[in-house]
Amino acid sequence: MTVIGDRVARATRTAAPRRSRLSPFIVVVVGAVIVVALTYTLPPFRTYQLATVGAYLCVTAGLTVLTGLNGQLSLGHGALMATGAYTLALWQNKFNLLLPGILVAILVTTAVGAVIGLAAARLRGPYLAGLTLAVAVVVPSITSTFDETFNSDQGLSVILNPPPDSMTVEQWQAWVCWGGALITVLALALLTRGRFGRDMRAVRDDETAARLAGISVARTQVTAFVISAACAGLAGALFAIIAQSVSPGAFPLTLSLFLLMAIVIGGLGRLTGALLGAVLLVALPAVAHEIGVAAGSQRLEGNLALTFFGVVLVVVMLAAPGGLASLRLPTRRKRVEPPP
Amino acid sequence: MSTESADPGLALHHITVRFGGLLALDDVSLRVPPGRVVGIIGPNGAGKTTLFNVICGFVTPQSGALTLDGRPFRPRPHQLSGRGITRTLQGVGQFNGMTVLENVQVGARRRDDDAWAALERCEVAEHAHRRPGELPYAKRKRVELARALAARPRILMLDEPAGGLDTDEIRWLADLIRDTESTVLLVEHHMELVMSVCDEILVLDFGKPIALGTPGEIRSNDRVAEAYLGTAA
Repeated sequence: MTVIGDRVARATRTAAPRRSRLSPFIVVVVGAVIVVALTYTLPPFRTYQLATVGAYLCVTAGLTVLTGLNGQLSLGHGALMATGAYTLALWQNKFNLLLPGILVAILVTTAVGAVIGLAAARLRGPYLAGLTLAVAVVVPSITSTFDETFNSDQGLSVILNPPPDSMTVEQWQAWVCWGGALITVLALALLTRGRFGRDMRAVRDDETAARLAGISVARTQVTAFVISAACAGLAGALFAIIAQSVSPGAFPLTLSLFLLMAIVIGGLGRLTGALLGAVLLVALPAVAHEIGVAAGSQRLEGNLALTFFGVVLVVVMLAAPGGLASLRLPTRRKRVEPPP
Repeated sequence: MSTESADPGLALHHITVRFGGLLALDDVSLRVPPGRVVGIIGPNGAGKTTLFNVICGFVTPQSGALTLDGRPFRPRPHQLSGRGITRTLQGVGQFNGMTVLENVQVGARRRDDDAWAALERCEVAEHAHRRPGELPYAKRKRVELARALAARPRILMLDEPAGGLDTDEIRWLADLIRDTESTVLLVEHHMELVMSVCDEILVLDFGKPIALGTPGEIRSNDRVAEAYLGTAA
């Protein structure tokens, strides 16, 4: 190579926008400090909402990796959450050991996700959406079919030990949910930055070129689905902890649609977008509730949240096609010149 | 004991491919010894890309066999790179959601230094942190070539690499093919490039091999002139 070529290459490597491996750890530590501070300053209901955002973040983070980075469209993550929630409920009611219960819920949902993922890896576009849609419809109805185990539409209550005396129930729920959420975000951030992240994006962009570059497309897609399912299982288990009960009504088809809209509005393929989507999932139904109450119509309230999401989706896509996370304050870019 | 194979390189033996009633490849045989540049030419629809797809495992032949270093070879696309075979696609098969560097790192697998070396060799290192979509077409072709080279292939398959390139770019490409240590399989319509870089050329017409020889032999072959090159070749 020429001397000039050497210089350009060296300068280019130097100028590379290197992303530190430490930064996700720092983000998670800062996030944990903020959450702990909020749990001591917010009123109980807001702390409960904060816990709910944490639980949602687990599933939106997994879903945005699956859909945004790997290009697989899932309409069935609400059902995967139901799997995690029911597994935890059944475990707790038998053994009442929370941490192993959460792990079992993740494992069972991961196994279900692997089965769906194997089928999903053979399907594309609307066919994949159709399969996952069927899962979203079928899984909650299983609870009615096996009502001796799942107690039909009434669902199951979840036995939980009381929180430590030093904190309220809401504080404890927020700590548990955000503990799970921050671990999830950290794991996904590290995973998507490395080789597997590149493989997922390569498969999303061009499957043929990815195969020729040595990537097993099917294995990558199944792995992405399994990881995403594990996140959904954790989210389901956390929801069971927050609500202290599980029922099929908590995991309707609209939940899966909400999840998908939330990650698109937040910014597809970005963990920051998943966080913004999780906040919207809690905030928009709350706003819809307020408006429904103000309008004096309980019927309106049920559909208003979906309408809100639709309107926000349209507005955000027009204003910021990359989602809320893609919005940046205008800054001056620093030029990096090659050394003389 | 010698570890060298009695039949080194890639060989295709009596390959036949049908797509329904269409005979895409009809009893095609070809030996690609190490270090050689072998061209595959022919009119559109002659079966050139189908032959590449057979070697890559995208198409399974109805009859015939492939051998690599004298051993039976059943290619699977995602395992090719690991066997030392890489391929570029017609047009540009790129990962537009990734930077140029990441595109090439995908090809290099675990070796980042190989990715940088390939970028530098293809003279696109200065664009490493841009998206391929931001680059002119010729640069994007170079990025794809860099991805194929980053795996340090023993066999490099180039599917119409000169398509859409200007004279200077084609000259650069010819130099790269001549300088590479890899065996090269080249499907190309640009006859000046093919004739200048190939050691041997296979000519296909309607899936059938009609000639195999050096560039000089192919140029003077009446059947090839009639089917493809024309009398002015």
